[in-house]
Amino acid sequence: MLKWLKHFIEQSWLLMVSSFIFGLLIAVTYAAWQPRIEANKTDKLNNLMSALISQADRFELTLEDVPVDLGKGKIAKTDIYKAVSDDGGCLGFCFDAQGPGFADKIELVIAVDFRFETIGSYKVLASNETPGFGDRIQNDYYRRQFDGAPAGKLDLSKTGPADKIDDEIIAISGATVSSEAVVKIFNNYIEQIKTALTKEGMIGNADK
Amino acid sequence: MPTNKTISIGDTFLAGLWRENPVFRLLLGMCPTLAVTTAVKPALTMGISVLFVLLCSNIVVSLMRNLLKPHLRILMFTLTIATFVTIADLFLKAFLPEMSATLGPYIPLIIVNCVIICRAEACASKNGLFISIIDAIGMGLGFTIVLCILAAVRELLATGAVFEIPVMWKSFVPWAAMRMPVGAFITLGLMLGLVNLISRKKA
Amino acid sequence: MDTFHILLMAFVSIVIVNNLVFTKFLGICPYLGVSGRIDMAFGMGMAVTFVVTLAGTLTWLINNLVLVPFGLEVTKYICFILVIAGAVQLVEMYLRKVFPSLYESFGIFLPLITTNCAILGLCLFIDLWQIDSFIEAIVLSFGAGIGFTLAICIMAGIRENLKLADVPQYLKGAPITLITAGLLTLAFMGFAGMIK
Repeated sequence: MLKWLKHFIEQSWLLMVSSFIFGLLIAVTYAAWQPRIEANKTDKLNNLMSALISQADRFELTLEDVPVDLGKGKIAKTDIYKAVSDDGGCLGFCFDAQGPGFADKIELVIAVDFRFETIGSYKVLASNETPGFGDRIQNDYYRRQFDGAPAGKLDLSKTGPADKIDDEIIAISGATVSSEAVVKIFNNYIEQIKTALTKEGMIGNADK
Repeated sequence: MPTNKTISIGDTFLAGLWRENPVFRLLLGMCPTLAVTTAVKPALTMGISVLFVLLCSNIVVSLMRNLLKPHLRILMFTLTIATFVTIADLFLKAFLPEMSATLGPYIPLIIVNCVIICRAEACASKNGLFISIIDAIGMGLGFTIVLCILAAVRELLATGAVFEIPVMWKSFVPWAAMRMPVGAFITLGLMLGLVNLISRKKA
Repeated sequence: MDTFHILLMAFVSIVIVNNLVFTKFLGICPYLGVSGRIDMAFGMGMAVTFVVTLAGTLTWLINNLVLVPFGLEVTKYICFILVIAGAVQLVEMYLRKVFPSLYESFGIFLPLITTNCAILGLCLFIDLWQIDSFIEAIVLSFGAGIGFTLAICIMAGIRENLKLADVPQYLKGAPITLITAGLLTLAFMGFAGMIK
């Protein structure tokens, strides 16, 4: 038994010592940089939300891990942030939304006004759509159509006036599937987030 | 493999750059080459990360080379490389978050990048500290340069800009295909063909 | 029935639509080197499928049951690669004892699989896509292996025919293989959007 142990240690002492040293190295690096990494993550979301609701002074997390049904049994969890102005009034809500696009998952950050009646446009968090076609969902032409649109059911159509802001969204030519994906994400999330916020009594209270 | 005495410093360095360039000649490290070369910025970041890991791993392996047990050495190499890749990944997440997001899972894939393990096996475990360092720098630079050239071609044709500085004329229609996997494979294939042409002509 | 539907879609998506070789650039090194003949390619593919299913499942378990609950995510990469190396060792030992003929036919491929980007890549993608269900992780791992086998066999078939074609001198070997791979990628792009 002892001989086996001696043989084992003889063979693997370097492995054990170096594992220990490496572990220490990683732990030290992690401890040193972890605060920065966390700050980067929150900064990114804050930057996107500030771009959407520019008058907001800060964003507060109101509801965390709200389950949203994506259809076909898939549940996604989203966090809802309240945009607060510098006098404490509620300016609107922001939340991240996702859904299947043409190539991969599309992730958006959606802003809605505090009465949950008009949409305040969206920004794309992550998308892998076809360059030159599907990725034009990031461009102003498509995004502007959502700015001020009613927070209800949106319809996608191929032709029509793009500068008329209503519940009819004109698709990007050559990127019907990507355009439809964005509209579907909106329709899915607006309804469910509205229900969740109404249940908590958060909508329509400009001072809360 | 030539012994310690007969390798000159300059020769080792230049080998990494051209004669034994990891991508063009040894055909190592293909996966990241194709994935990150959509633009010059991610390519440069990846190249420098590989250089960092290669340098650290070569140093550590070279220092340990007389203590390694033969059948455990691959495990030791892997452990060393994984540690330094974790450190590099943490660094990117902390100081270059957009690059970290763009490069995504390809940074940890440096662990299985054949370039690093092969250099540890072929060079660092057999040579002294100084030679290992020079070899690492040479190979790392060779890898970075190739990645940047490939990325420059792809980015130029895909967006008309290099390193986000517009270069092409205004009416240039971007070749979207260059940003997709197709462009990667075909560009690399043609470049390899070009390298074959140049080296055959020389010889 | 819903679960089955999701699993089927996941399987089809990773074999065809999100094929690891053609869309994520994983597993290129052996892909270029090995795919000379269809039977060798198929053998390699089967070996990879076996290892990747095992590795994907194990790493999912370790990640979700040990690393995340204990806050040890920073050691993720080290744990993953050690699990993969260990899995390959186990598979090798098992095959050598139980199926020696199979072991002979796999030959040198098995140790090479450890540095195959596809395996580590898949484990990382499963983590990136935040797959919650164990069954889905198993299905995705298996599908990834099948997708790799598919890609490598198609490539081997084309290369067998390429030997008879008139390839320009400087493009012979790796360059023409890469260009062919690029065209295959283009073909597979047609599958994008197949699954909503």
